[in-house]
Amino acid sequence: MESITSVLDPKVIKIGLNAKNKHEVIVQLAELFKKANYIDKVDPFVKDIYLREREGLTGIGQGIAIPHGKSDDVKHIGVAIGILSQGIEWESLDNEKIRIVILFAVSNDTDSAKNQLKLLSIFAGRLGHKQVVDKLKKAQSVQEVIDAFK
Amino acid sequence: MKIVGITACSAGIAHTYIAKEKIEQAAKDCGDIVHIETQGTIGTENALTPEEIKEADVVLLAVDVKITGRERFKGKKVVQISTDTAIQSPNKLIKKLHSALNVK
Repeated sequence: MESITSVLDPKVIKIGLNAKNKHEVIVQLAELFKKANYIDKVDPFVKDIYLREREGLTGIGQGIAIPHGKSDDVKHIGVAIGILSQGIEWESLDNEKIRIVILFAVSNDTDSAKNQLKLLSIFAGRLGHKQVVDKLKKAQSVQEVIDAFK
Repeated sequence: MKIVGITACSAGIAHTYIAKEKIEQAAKDCGDIVHIETQGTIGTENALTPEEIKEADVVLLAVDVKITGRERFKGKKVVQISTDTAIQSPNKLIKKLHSALNVK
């Protein structure tokens, strides 16, 4: 079985992301996805992310948010990670400002993507570990972000 | 104490699996035996066995959506919360279960 680090793609990880608010972060990460050919178009994907946002909080506490878009527009399943240069407001469980945004891109065709989704679920589980979160918060390079999940 | 449970969130992509990890860690920290089944986009994983359910002191459901196989817990003590609660305060949650069931 592939390791979960295979879902961590340096092309869609950004350190020192400059954004004033939630919308800017989501759009910037969606643009990274587009550039790396995970999605076709930014706008419909962003729209699908907001559909999920309406269903419940994606700020999971400790400065981390995990928005996700399940969209026909997704060609490849993956996660984009943005480490923000400054904390921003985001609805969360503990009201802490958000500094790490992990955007999940998932296609609607989940049957053919079962292996990738399985990896994504293992990856998500890692976010439940304090050691992983602590390392992630200290990460100063793309490699350190990837290493945090190892 | 023996805990079995299910996690399931609305999208079935992330919260389900984060909640599972958080519950398992908190329960193990308290010396409990814990088994959590996930019901997500990829279907049911880590399915609970009838023996595990039979032996469990409590069934913990951290679910935001309708789950399948709820009838398996008939006659058991069931505690239901949201995945948010499991993610935010797992330790408090497990301690509450202990005091509610009078288990140290």
